[in-house]
Amino acid sequence: MNLIHVKNASFGYDENNLFSNVNLKLGKGQLCCLMGPNGCGKSTLLDCILGIHKLRNGEIEIADQLLSVYKPSQLAKQLAYVPQIHDRSFPYQVIQIVLMGRSAHMTHFQTPSDKDEQIALNALTSVGIAHLADRPYTQISGGEMQLVMLARALVQQTPIIIMDEPTAHLDYKNELLFMETVVKLIKDHGVSVLMATHSPNQAFYFENQAINVKIAIMSKGGIYKSGLPNEILTEESIRRIYQIDSKIISSYDGDYGNLRQIIPLKTL
Amino acid sequence: MILKKGILNIAILSVPIIFILGTLFVGRYHVSFSEVIYSLLAPLDFDVSKNISRETLTVVTQLRLPRAIAGAFIGAGLAASGCAFQGVFRNPLVNSGLLGVSSGAGFGAALAIILFAAQWTSYVLAFSFGIIAVGMSYWIARIYKSVPTVMLILGGTIVSSLFSALLSFLKYVADTESQLPTIVYWLMGSLSSVGYSDFWALIPVVSGLIILFIMSWKINVLSMGDKEAQTMGVDVKRNKLLIITGATLATAGSVCMSGMIGWVGLIIPHMGRMIVGNDNRRLMPVSMSMGAAFMVLIDTISRSITASEIPLGILTSLIGAPFFIYLLKKTKGGGWK
Repeated sequence: MNLIHVKNASFGYDENNLFSNVNLKLGKGQLCCLMGPNGCGKSTLLDCILGIHKLRNGEIEIADQLLSVYKPSQLAKQLAYVPQIHDRSFPYQVIQIVLMGRSAHMTHFQTPSDKDEQIALNALTSVGIAHLADRPYTQISGGEMQLVMLARALVQQTPIIIMDEPTAHLDYKNELLFMETVVKLIKDHGVSVLMATHSPNQAFYFENQAINVKIAIMSKGGIYKSGLPNEILTEESIRRIYQIDSKIISSYDGDYGNLRQIIPLKTL
Repeated sequence: MILKKGILNIAILSVPIIFILGTLFVGRYHVSFSEVIYSLLAPLDFDVSKNISRETLTVVTQLRLPRAIAGAFIGAGLAASGCAFQGVFRNPLVNSGLLGVSSGAGFGAALAIILFAAQWTSYVLAFSFGIIAVGMSYWIARIYKSVPTVMLILGGTIVSSLFSALLSFLKYVADTESQLPTIVYWLMGSLSSVGYSDFWALIPVVSGLIILFIMSWKINVLSMGDKEAQTMGVDVKRNKLLIITGATLATAGSVCMSGMIGWVGLIIPHMGRMIVGNDNRRLMPVSMSMGAAFMVLIDTISRSITASEIPLGILTSLIGAPFFIYLLKKTKGGGWK
């Protein structure tokens, strides 16, 4: 069964298509890294899957049902979303932000119950920031913020989490911490993840953590290739997609197994 | 925690009632404590009315009490609408007039003053044009299939300036001896002519307050931004429309009774934020309560400090502006970035 199935999708903001004939599948327990240069339409494709934009052509199925038949509250029980950067507004407490993720599970005029509060606290514990629960979320760091967003997605208790370059603004350690947390969530909670990312090395990291990783590379106009990291992430395809020369090196480590990295060399 | 919540709930309900009762004693016509009690008991026919003069009874139950009750609902309506708009538009500096309801109402009232003599027409036209103005802002923002926040704010700005221009035109053509002073006085806000017969205008205010109270959790979620709110399962368009409707009913109902009163919709929610934080489940009722108390206080000052009444709009700004500056300085350390 495919949790997400995008069939021959095309979309454009003006008369030109930003992408067309895009096909994408996400299976259960899978992590799909959606890659591609800036402006190729990764975020827009994610927005289409989230129901923010309507496709021009083609269709999207979520859990074997057409996206168009879902009401927002039903869709939010299938898909949760972690934005690239959250635009903070009022100084809510961290716990209140996480609690908002429970909205999909409330009827129209309901407010969160004690059980919802408990679920929110548990989610904060799962991502390792329970100690921040009562802090104003305008005062936490960017790395902590992304973990709050992850916790908020987690309380939606969805089979799928969609992430749009979630580590783009994080420092070295927080990027790794975020990825470790994602690995933990996939293993502990069985969620499937569709994640836009710019870092091919993240795919290798997830693969080394024994996650079922899949790569889908978008170039201008649509999906260019998809498959396993070692099939897709080759020097040749990096050259074609990003217009750079690169070298893939690998070394064997007794504790961590076969480690691979892509080293960028020069632009073409 | 539960005890604290209980105390807060009691305070939310009791503070406006204490202010309403308190204002019955204050004014240029002296009324003693027992006279107030007798006046309030008089309708229950405890045979107490013989203990007080007819004038006292009129002052307390026919003048001060209806003013205080109307003032309380008006203050609550303006504060709650401001609070709702700040949340939905993710902007702490907007107030209840954002979508043009005040400008529309001002134009409607001026039109009624010029065309008709009866006071009730100014209520009806002020209310109607307040609603029409917001409807226009919403329609302008709907150029795209959705109703983006930025377009709503733009629409509100356009409609506000349109009705301001129309109002200026009416002022220009108004009779300078009789109509112009009435228009200017209306625009500065007053409760001096409010009586029980005007209380029908409280129906939209109360409806709006109920809607905003019920929607307070959704305002939290909408303040995360349209996209994130939708991914959390909230029907953004429908909920936004419902909240705007509630806020508009409350504001239009308030403004048509009292005229233009600034600041309440801006500063009261911020006072609330300082006291109970930003969660609208608590902030909304606290804003209503504080708005009610503040308005009763301002109206009391307005009618007792000098022989002729000071317009409310002047007092709310005179008292509100310094307080708002103080708040801005203080809340910089209160979690804002």
